[in-house]
Amino acid sequence: MAADEEPIHIQLPVIEAKNITLEVAGKKKILNDVSISINPGVLTAVIGKNGAGKSSLLKAICGENNYTHGTVVVNGKSSAEYDVEELAKSRAVVSQKSSLDFAFKVREVVELGRAPHSGFFYSKEDAEIVTICLEKVGILTFADRSYTTLSGGEQQRVHVARALAQIWDSVENNQQCYLFLDEPLASLDVANQHEIMHLLKQLCSKNVAVFIVIHDLNLAAQYADHVYILKNGKTFTEGSPVEVFTEDTIYQAFDYPVQVVPHPKTNCPLIVAEAYSDHE
Amino acid sequence: MQGFRFGKTGFILGLLFLILFFFAIISIGIGPVSIPPDTVLKVVANKLGFIDFAEDELVQSSAIIYSIRLPRVILAVLVGAALAVSGAALQGLFRNPLADPTLIGASSGSALAAAIVIIVGAQIGVLIPEIIGAALLPLGAFLGALAATLLVYTISTKSGKTNMATMLLAGIAINALAASGIGYLIFTATDVQIRDLTFWTLGSLGGSVWDTVINSSPFLLICIIGLPLFSKNLNVMLLGENEAHYLGLNTQFTKKVIIVLATLGVGSAVAVSGIIGFVGLVVPHLLRLLMGPDHRFIMPASVLLGALLLLASDLFARMVVIPAELPIGIVTATIGAPFFLWLLMRNRSISNYL
Repeated sequence: MAADEEPIHIQLPVIEAKNITLEVAGKKKILNDVSISINPGVLTAVIGKNGAGKSSLLKAICGENNYTHGTVVVNGKSSAEYDVEELAKSRAVVSQKSSLDFAFKVREVVELGRAPHSGFFYSKEDAEIVTICLEKVGILTFADRSYTTLSGGEQQRVHVARALAQIWDSVENNQQCYLFLDEPLASLDVANQHEIMHLLKQLCSKNVAVFIVIHDLNLAAQYADHVYILKNGKTFTEGSPVEVFTEDTIYQAFDYPVQVVPHPKTNCPLIVAEAYSDHE
Repeated sequence: MQGFRFGKTGFILGLLFLILFFFAIISIGIGPVSIPPDTVLKVVANKLGFIDFAEDELVQSSAIIYSIRLPRVILAVLVGAALAVSGAALQGLFRNPLADPTLIGASSGSALAAAIVIIVGAQIGVLIPEIIGAALLPLGAFLGALAATLLVYTISTKSGKTNMATMLLAGIAINALAASGIGYLIFTATDVQIRDLTFWTLGSLGGSVWDTVINSSPFLLICIIGLPLFSKNLNVMLLGENEAHYLGLNTQFTKKVIIVLATLGVGSAVAVSGIIGFVGLVVPHLLRLLMGPDHRFIMPASVLLGALLLLASDLFARMVVIPAELPIGIVTATIGAPFFLWLLMRNRSISNYL
């Protein structure tokens, strides 16, 4: 287990979660002593089996779940000391499942991302930012469609645009800000998946700290700067894609055999799962 | 696009306001003694001190308007507005377009509490000072609505997501419980009390006098003015509690305030007029079809259309069987229940999230 205490990046981590443990009354530990750091300019990916605690970790860091032990420090200050509204101006979260049963237009949903910045009514500037964000995510063409009529993948992209609109001021001014995404790509097609990952990469170059929970190992391998693998609520290992995407590590973390070969073009690790057989 | 939206909704709001104003004037004029609208305007302006003229030639009209029709119209406007805006707010809070104060049992819970106050109050009435006695009814009605709403919310909502089936079933249970409670009170009541209790269950604005208006309007107005101020928060809440938190909203505070304001409105409405059903369901729905789900427009528009709907229903209730009058709850239920069925048929996908 690579419990490497050395800071990987020279910069001080912006969000540091230390020894997070989350217990559900009478059940097993959902998170067990997990420590991670999230840095500006770094795309941090979290992978792991179903139920490994990935979403719980994201929620714990964002102050949604009340974890049993541990601390989350944002810019040197405990996250509990922050005012929710203050935090919302520079931290956006795209949840795994957002349900919205009211027939808002796509543009109106994205406008909700401006809520922490705007008054009772949205300003002209808010409207401009919303248009930019719709375009960035590639959904400007259906800005006036009703959200409830969209497919699952389209709805996911709407929420990415909403989160982008929320932190846009910081992105533009090159200020530190945080973007958390929980499985945002699950129902997207391959082109959209890569477009979103490319967008996240662009955001990283603008001082955004991106934290993404992701299932697709190859997307993580191609785009992530730093990868955490969770298993049974613990950090199984962490490191750069080249370090963690090895046949042995993936087999142990996911209990399933894979082949790792170099990507024919980029040379980054390419993970090919073996066809199912009754391997023992 | 932005300009268009504000333009269209602004137009609808302005139009609703004008229709409400003229309809109120006409409605004051209609009754067993018919009074032309210009006379109504003159008398009202005179009372407000805008113009001054000898009332002699209008003394009869003036008396009818001032002591009978005006308080009733004012109460219809306030009750309708409060019920509709509370309905819109509860639907936003439950994130569920079917959360109507009658369906979820808030109205009947309120009526049960009010009925208990009437019956028990009559028995121990001599023991409490009159001023507290007068306050007990609206207070009881408010607490009844609050208890029912909190119960349904707690039962049907788990981590910020309301299960629609559970919400409606809990509403059925509370309605049944309240019905049996009121039934028991009717069983034990005297003849005079029975008439009062029937009034609670069917709804009526027949008892509108200035005293009622003065006692209830502060509470109704707090609800009518207060709830639209939370429109932006309600929009954010529609995304879910977690998302609202991530967007910087103090969700616990928002939830509490909205529940208190909405049940204050429903309770005060029940205290003065009994159970008037479906206003909170029909009005926000029609408006959403017209102008989309944005609460910043739905809430003020609900105030206006709710007032208009109840004014029209009351006019119908008092004109259709002259010289008697129909309980207004019968009128609104006759409009509302088929509307509810139509909603269910139109939106079969509701079964998707049951």
